[in-house]
Amino acid sequence: MSTANQEEFINRIKMALGKPFAESRPKTDLFSREMSAETRAILARIKNRSAEDRKKLLETLIEAAGPIHLTVRTCVDINAVTAAIAEVVRDKDPEWGDKKRVVAWQHPLIEGLNLPDALSEQGVPVFFTDLQKTDEESLRQGIIDSYIGITSADFCMADTATLVMRTRPGQARSVSLVPAIHIAVVELNRIIADLKELYALLKWDPQESKDGVTNCMTFISGPSKTADIEATMVHGAHGPREVHVFVLTTEY
Amino acid sequence: MTKITTENYVSEARKAIKNQVLQRALADLQNRFGRATAECYRRLPEGPGLRLKAHEIRMQTVENLDVVLETLAVNIRKNGGQVFFAEDGQAAVNYCLEVAQRHKVRRVVKGKSMVSEEIGLNDALIDSGIDVSETDLGEYIIQLAGETPSHIIAPAIHKTRDDVGSLFADKLDVPYETDPPRLTWIARKALREKFLAADMGTSGCNMACAETGHITTVSNEGNIRMSTTLPRVHIAIMGMERVAARLEDHDMLLRLLCRGAAAQNLATYVSYIGGPRSAHQTDGPQEFHLVVLDNGRSRILADEQFREMLCCIRCAACLNVCPVYAKIGGHSYGYAYSGPVGAVVTPLLVGINRAKDLCLGETLCGACQDICPVNINLPRMLLALRTKLAEGDTAWGVTPADRKEKFLFQAWSWMIRNRGLYDVAGKLAVMGQKILTQKDGMIRRLPPPMHGWTKARDIRPLAAQSFISRWKKGIK
Repeated sequence: MSTANQEEFINRIKMALGKPFAESRPKTDLFSREMSAETRAILARIKNRSAEDRKKLLETLIEAAGPIHLTVRTCVDINAVTAAIAEVVRDKDPEWGDKKRVVAWQHPLIEGLNLPDALSEQGVPVFFTDLQKTDEESLRQGIIDSYIGITSADFCMADTATLVMRTRPGQARSVSLVPAIHIAVVELNRIIADLKELYALLKWDPQESKDGVTNCMTFISGPSKTADIEATMVHGAHGPREVHVFVLTTEY
Repeated sequence: MTKITTENYVSEARKAIKNQVLQRALADLQNRFGRATAECYRRLPEGPGLRLKAHEIRMQTVENLDVVLETLAVNIRKNGGQVFFAEDGQAAVNYCLEVAQRHKVRRVVKGKSMVSEEIGLNDALIDSGIDVSETDLGEYIIQLAGETPSHIIAPAIHKTRDDVGSLFADKLDVPYETDPPRLTWIARKALREKFLAADMGTSGCNMACAETGHITTVSNEGNIRMSTTLPRVHIAIMGMERVAARLEDHDMLLRLLCRGAAAQNLATYVSYIGGPRSAHQTDGPQEFHLVVLDNGRSRILADEQFREMLCCIRCAACLNVCPVYAKIGGHSYGYAYSGPVGAVVTPLLVGINRAKDLCLGETLCGACQDICPVNINLPRMLLALRTKLAEGDTAWGVTPADRKEKFLFQAWSWMIRNRGLYDVAGKLAVMGQKILTQKDGMIRRLPPPMHGWTKARDIRPLAAQSFISRWKKGIK
């Protein structure tokens, strides 16, 4: 695409603002180039969080999850997570069709759950969104045919009970979107307080800022919902009708 | 181009006031959201004062929009996205059509976006033989009914469950139902097919982030995530002002947006989209296009009286408290934007004379500013528009709306500056009004040219003696 109309467009804005066309600096410093004292304090707070603080965050998360119909469950170890997932698989029926199928992220924590073995008792197949093993078309169809999608999350914000997921190879975006039930398995130390902490980490933390926001970052706070018919709240508009967060309280 | 029917404001408003169903729906909407939003602001850790800080940040961005937009474009291109700057609606529509043709697009799913209403994207796509599906439940209902949205975030607020039930039975060939969860499920099923079959998805942009190069979309239903994840191509269209400079700015802006829009701490879904999927990523669109739209916004930017309007983040909080919107509903405003925001922005976009009734119809009560998450002084701008209508304005091409009114006010102003004349006129009026006063002591109807005053209200007659004459007699 030509950038000629871009120049014209931007010049029209400059004219409206009474700026000379040659001027390309902002009037005030808009972009932060150095870490502010406030951000430094936020990062220090996250880093020095005690076990007690984390427990408090978990409590905040559980409290915020209630009103938005998000289920939060704590699991003491990896086996407890697997058992909890098996329970959901047993209790819930598929929304479309009658075959139970589960799709999961290619992610160390999720693969470590040994789901294919655990769910084989119930005769429920599990497949991972791994492009190296399947082609794109069958992978897409696999997600469409699954009634439960299992992911992890980069962070979970306690304040608003929000899962934060950045896009990565092997971790399809639609796993948390297309199946009727979404289960996210999160380690306790991925719980942060709020948006302020998230943005500070994404922008300034040496580790987290390497990936940054990525080309697609999604926040999920509870199941999909709508109130478009007579302002009556209904869960399950287009996305998942149920969202479960399983918090792993020990390191795996 | 989308139809502009601002000229029908008065007749549409009359119709709306008589529509009992609409009146109940509007009252219910305001009772719920108006109050809940105010309560939400009070519960903010920073307090309602955060709105003032947000105003400052928005204004700072607007005043540096050239730099902010160039930074956004550079960063989105770095991520492999394509950016197109559209001077007007036609240019934006043409670009979308070109992209659609290049990809041989036959089916489009659309995430709710007011700016696409503004430029009439749906009609243009349909005219070129493309199947376009609205996917927000409210918008979907409106599309099936062949109507236009009546509220920025609750587009089908004027429809009852019975309306929706018969509509679905008629158009989707399903049994008649009136239960909202069942109706929602019917739409969920129908639209799932659409999402899975679509070649292209379109969306708006709630608030882009320049320094990281992302747009954001906010929704509760998940339809925008579907529209921007499943199809091969994604086109996002944003009004040129819908951008923040820094990622940190999104903290307060997102929190305020969700509180203003639906009294929520955060909407169910917020997505940051910064380009197409990259190699080895499993899904997401193969192409991402961002269309940045001017369409009259640079003209608003150039006028310091109205520049503040570009701070607006289109949350629709002002609709949920406006006493005028509460009675006349969204359709009366005759354009994509209704309520107080529409009363200011529509005249500025489509012509002040053409949409004059919109700004004349508001009460100036100030509720819109009090609830605005970025504290925009809408009443001030409504007055500024009225001044232009009274006096004319060459820069905006405004001709004085009503010369008769201007003449009457000039005569009034001359009279009240002349003591003797004023007293005589007062005495004459007191005598003359006797035949007009009804049994209950009120005046129902004034003779022309003052009859406009009593069209919709009764007025009290003047006191038999003026205050000044009582004062002179020693009555205090």
